[in-house]
Amino acid sequence: MPLLTLRESQIMKIHYLTGIGALFFVAIHILFRLIMPFGQSLEYENVVANYNNVYYVILLELMLIFISIHGFNGLRVILLELKQTPWWESIITILVLAAMIGVIAYGTRTIIIGSGL
Amino acid sequence: MDLKSGDNDNSEINPSGKVRIDDGREGLKGWLNPTRYGWERVSYWLQRLTGVGLLIYFIGHVYETSSLVNGIDAWNSMLELTQTTGGHIFLMLVIGASTFHTVNGIRLIFTESGIGLGKPGRPDYPYDATSLNYKQKSGIWVAIILAIIAMLYGGMVMFGDAS
Repeated sequence: MPLLTLRESQIMKIHYLTGIGALFFVAIHILFRLIMPFGQSLEYENVVANYNNVYYVILLELMLIFISIHGFNGLRVILLELKQTPWWESIITILVLAAMIGVIAYGTRTIIIGSGL
Repeated sequence: MDLKSGDNDNSEINPSGKVRIDDGREGLKGWLNPTRYGWERVSYWLQRLTGVGLLIYFIGHVYETSSLVNGIDAWNSMLELTQTTGGHIFLMLVIGASTFHTVNGIRLIFTESGIGLGKPGRPDYPYDATSLNYKQKSGIWVAIILAIIAMLYGGMVMFGDAS
């Protein structure tokens, strides 16, 4: 039985939408590094100030989720191109989902503590 | 002639008369075989290479940013590692990889939607696929050129700021 009930075409739509969404979020994220000299924007006080901006925090969380979904699904697609058996597909899906959840959880922890929520 | 159920696979009878089963999968060797590379195959390979590279960078970036929660000293220690000439060159590669992956990815979304593939035509010798037309090739070149421009701009910002 396939692990995911989503059709591959539906997963690819999610892949494309998260990719396009990530493009906009990353563009804003980079703009925050360019509104002042690059080195200055990375100073501790300025980064903490970014984390205290609620809109920026939401942007960071969305970016974390979108890039994780897009990136780990891309890895899944690559690994499934190499080999196709039900066992391999299930193992890869489980591992990729676990890694994705781990990265999102770890990044969310930083965002929560950094923003003082 | 009677056909057995196994006659539909990609089997091949060699001179010794033994049947060799070939499932048609080449795996990683097929990926890395450079003897059949056209621009489309270079694009296919680069899209996956940049994708895996960017995923590794993303995980590293999430980890390095987490030093923020350990205070200013931990943050500055992390910056000392990354805000170097080598760190800036690495970031330039990340900028180039992300720009290529984005632009080529948008081309692939259009392609999968049937945009830019052209009309189906009669297959005439030398049987070039009509879908691999100048629009597709131009898209790949645009992705490469924009990646180079973004790398140079990123380098100017980082090294210009450092000087």
